[in-house]
Amino acid sequence: MTLKDTILNKKHIHHRIRIEEMAEDFKRRHLSDRERVVERFERMCEKEKPVILDDQQIVMMRTVENLPDCFTAEEWDENRRHHYVHETGYVSNLLPDYESLIHDGLLPLYQKSDVYVQRELDALFSLCDRYQKEAEKMGRMDVAESFSWIPRKGARTLKEAFQFFRILHYAYLLEGGYQIVAGRVDQIFYPYLKKDMEERRLSESEALELVKDFFLSFNIDSDFYDGVQQGDNGQSVVLGGVDKSGKESFNLLSKLCLQASKENRLIDPKINLRVSKETPLEIYELGSYLTKEGLGFPQYLNDDVIIEGLIKKGYALEDARDYAVAACWEIIIPKKGFEVVNIGACSFPKVLEDVLHSKRKAETFDELMIQVKNQIEIECSQIISQYQQVYFVPAPLMEASLDIQYRNFGIHGTGCSTAVDSLWALKQLVYDEKQFSIDEIIEITDHNFEGYPDLLHRLRYELPKMGQNHSGCDDIACTLLKWFCESLKGKKNEWGGIFRAGTGTAMFYLDHANEIGASCDGRKKGEPFSANYSPSLYAKIHGPLSIIESFTKPDVCDAMNGGPLTLEFSSSMFADPQSIRKTALFVKAFVQKGGHQLQCNSVNLNDLKEAQHHPERFRHLIVRIWGWSAYFVELDKDFQDHVIARQEYAL
Amino acid sequence: MRGMIFDVQEMTVHDGPGCRITFFLKGCPLTCRWCHNPEGQHFEQEIMFVKNRCTHCGSCVQNGKRNPELCPTGALKTCGQQITSEELVQRAVKMKSTLEMLEGGVTFSGGEPCAQPEFLLDCLTQLKKEGIHTAIETSGYCDEIWFRKIIEQCDYVMMDLKLMDDHQHYQMTGVSNKIILKNAEILKNSGLSFCFRTPLIPGITDTEKNLSELALWIGQSPWEKIPYNELASVKYEQLNRTYSLK
Repeated sequence: MTLKDTILNKKHIHHRIRIEEMAEDFKRRHLSDRERVVERFERMCEKEKPVILDDQQIVMMRTVENLPDCFTAEEWDENRRHHYVHETGYVSNLLPDYESLIHDGLLPLYQKSDVYVQRELDALFSLCDRYQKEAEKMGRMDVAESFSWIPRKGARTLKEAFQFFRILHYAYLLEGGYQIVAGRVDQIFYPYLKKDMEERRLSESEALELVKDFFLSFNIDSDFYDGVQQGDNGQSVVLGGVDKSGKESFNLLSKLCLQASKENRLIDPKINLRVSKETPLEIYELGSYLTKEGLGFPQYLNDDVIIEGLIKKGYALEDARDYAVAACWEIIIPKKGFEVVNIGACSFPKVLEDVLHSKRKAETFDELMIQVKNQIEIECSQIISQYQQVYFVPAPLMEASLDIQYRNFGIHGTGCSTAVDSLWALKQLVYDEKQFSIDEIIEITDHNFEGYPDLLHRLRYELPKMGQNHSGCDDIACTLLKWFCESLKGKKNEWGGIFRAGTGTAMFYLDHANEIGASCDGRKKGEPFSANYSPSLYAKIHGPLSIIESFTKPDVCDAMNGGPLTLEFSSSMFADPQSIRKTALFVKAFVQKGGHQLQCNSVNLNDLKEAQHHPERFRHLIVRIWGWSAYFVELDKDFQDHVIARQEYAL
Repeated sequence: MRGMIFDVQEMTVHDGPGCRITFFLKGCPLTCRWCHNPEGQHFEQEIMFVKNRCTHCGSCVQNGKRNPELCPTGALKTCGQQITSEELVQRAVKMKSTLEMLEGGVTFSGGEPCAQPEFLLDCLTQLKKEGIHTAIETSGYCDEIWFRKIIEQCDYVMMDLKLMDDHQHYQMTGVSNKIILKNAEILKNSGLSFCFRTPLIPGITDTEKNLSELALWIGQSPWEKIPYNELASVKYEQLNRTYSLK
C-alpha cells in the first residue's frame, strides 16, 4: 500500500489517542491566557507519540486527536461581554516567516525570545528528539539524520527544508492557530532545490517525488482542521508572480508544484497561481492542465491589479510584490501582516432593502441611487463600529515568527450582483417604464411575488443582469463597489490599521440572504446570493465571455481584500492540448482586462451527480456535447445520465 | 435586416480558430436523421419543454394553454428569437478586444446558416468591416451564387461532406448531394482557409466504402472526422418529435 493509499483510506488513524480537558484546571490555577496556551502546547507535545509511516519521507503527524480549549465556556461568555472575539478567538489566516526560520534554525529564535516561546520550543525540540529516536529504532536513518540537525539548526537540503516546514506548521496549529497558510512555497524552497541539484544530490524526477510527498503531508491531519466545511482548512500555497524586486519568479519548483498537485489529485494544499499580463501563455497552460483535474484550482491572482491595490492601501512596494493569500482569497503579506482579513461583511441587498423600507420614497432613479449611497455609508459605519476591544488568544510562537507591520481589517462585500440586478429592475419597471409604482414593487417583493408569476418570470429571466455585458447593469456595479470602497476609506481600526473592502462572500452568501426577504431581481425569500463575485443564480448568462466583460468593468483595484469570480467548465473543455491552450488564452484575457481573481472549475463526474441533486448550485455548469454545449441542469434527467455515463468511460 | 436564431454560445472552442462566439441560425433545408440540433431544423419559433425543470406548479396555464412566458422555472421555453444583424454584430463588437485576445471571432452555425442567406451575408459583411474574424459551419446546401458571396466574407469555412452516394444522401438527409459537391469544389478552389467535416454515424457515414470514396474526393484538403453523439434523441423529446435513429 502506498503512502497516499494509507492516508486516503485512513489506515494511519488507529494511532490516534485523546487527551484530557484542561480549561477547568487552568481556571482553578488562575493561569494567564499566555500561560494556558504554553502549558497546553507542552502537554500536547508530551502526549504526542512519534509515528513514522512506511515510505513516508516528510514525517510528523498528529496522534492526539483533540485539542482541548484553554478556556471554559463561562470564561468565553465573560470574555465576549467585554471584547469583540473574532470567530473562535484563536489566531487565523496568518503567514509566519517560514523563510528565515527554516534557513536559520530555531536556536537563534530561542536565544532572543521570552520564557513562553522558550518553553514551547523546548517542548517541540523534545518531541523532535523522540522522532529522531523512533527513526533510529525503525532503521529510517534518513529521517534520523534530518532530525539530528533540524529544527534547532537551519535546513541543509530540500528534504530537510520541507521537514522543517512540516514541524513549524504542525507547531502553529498545535498552539491553537487555524487556517495557517503556507504562502509562496516555490520562493521559500527554491534555493534548496537549486543547491541540491547543483550538488547532484537530487534529480528533477526525485525532486518531483519529494514535492509530492511534501504535499501529501498536508493531507495527513487535515480532517482535524475543518472550517465552515471539511476542506476549508486554509492550507493554501501561492506559486509564481513577481519577486520582491519585480522580476518574474516562476521557477522549476513552481512547475514541479503544479505537476505534483496534478499527480496527487488531492484537495490539499490548495494552489494559487500568481499571473500578470506579462506572464507567458505557457504558464497559463500549466495552470489549465491542473484545472482539468477538477480540483477547483489553481485560483488565479492578478499581480497587475493586486500589487497596485496594495500600494494604494499603503503597503510598501516590496511587501506588495511579496503578497500571498489567506485561507481563501484574501490578500496577506508574509510575516509582516497580523490582519483580520474576514472580520465582517457588508450586504448590498440589505442596504437596498433598508433604503426601500425607509420613509422617504425616491421620485427618480438618481434619487434612489443617492439613498443607496448614503445607506452604504451608514451600513459601513455600523459594521466597523462593532470591532472594538478585539480579542485574540495569545500565540507566543506565532507572534515570535512575525514582524508585524500591517494590522488592517478586511470587509467582504456580499450580494453585489443581486443588488445590481434589483436596482436595474427598479430603474426599468418603476422609473423608465412606470409599469409599477415603487410602493407596489415593495409590496410585491415583501409578499414574495405571491400572485405575480408573470412578473417573477420577467424579473428572473428577461430583465438584464450583471454578467450579460449589459452596460446599464455594469455601470451600477461599478458605482456600488466604488461607494463601498469610499465608505471605508480613511477609517481607522483600533489597532491603527485601515479597513479593506473586498468582493468575497465566504459563508455570508447564505447568512446575509437569510437576513432579508425577497429581492427585486426575482430572488425569493430564503434563496441564496451568488457566492463571491459572480452572476446571480437566476441570471440567464450569455456565456463566459460576457461574464468576464461585465466583471472586469468595476475597478477592483480598490476592492483588493479579495473575492474571486468563479466559472465552471466541463472537463470536456480541456480534452486536448488545443482546448487547453484556448482556456489558457481565456484566463489570460481575464487578467489583461483587469480582473483580480478567477477560479475556473473543471467539473468532474461527482460534481455532475451532485448537480442532479442540487441544480441550484450548478446553474452555470457547461457541458460540451459534440457540436453543441448545454447548461447541465437544463438537460433532462435521462440526458444528464447519458452525460454522466459518458464521463464514466472517459477516465 | 432581421434573422432567426435559436442559440448563441460563447467561448466555443471547437467551432474554428481560438475561442469564439457561435450564433446558431434557425432553419435547415436538410433533415439528417442523426441531426443533433433538431430545434435548428424548422424556420419558425417553437416551444421546448425541459421535463426535469418542471415543478408542476401550474403557473403556465392560461386560457387552457401553456404560456412559456409564465413558467417560473424555465422548463417551458420558446425556441427561436428574431434578431437584427445590427444587434448581432453589436454583441460581437462589444467584445472585440476580448475576441482578439482569444485569437477567435464569430462563427455561424445552425440549422443551416446559408438558409438565411441575405441575413448571413449582411452579418458577415458588417463583421468583416469591423475587423472581426468570421467563420461558418455549413452543409454546403446553398444556391451557388449565394454560396460564393458568403464564403468570400468568411475567414474560415467548415463544410460537411456526409455521404458520397447520392441516393443514400437523399435517403438520409432528404436532399441530393449534387449541389453540395459543386459548392465543395468551389470551396476547394477558392484559396480560402477551410476544412471538410464528416460526422461518423455508425453504419451510415462511417462505412469503409463511404470513407474511402470521401478520402478519394477530398484528396489533400483538410478533413476532420467527428464522432457520433448518441445524446441527440433527448432534444427530440423536448420538441415532441420522433428521433428516427433511436
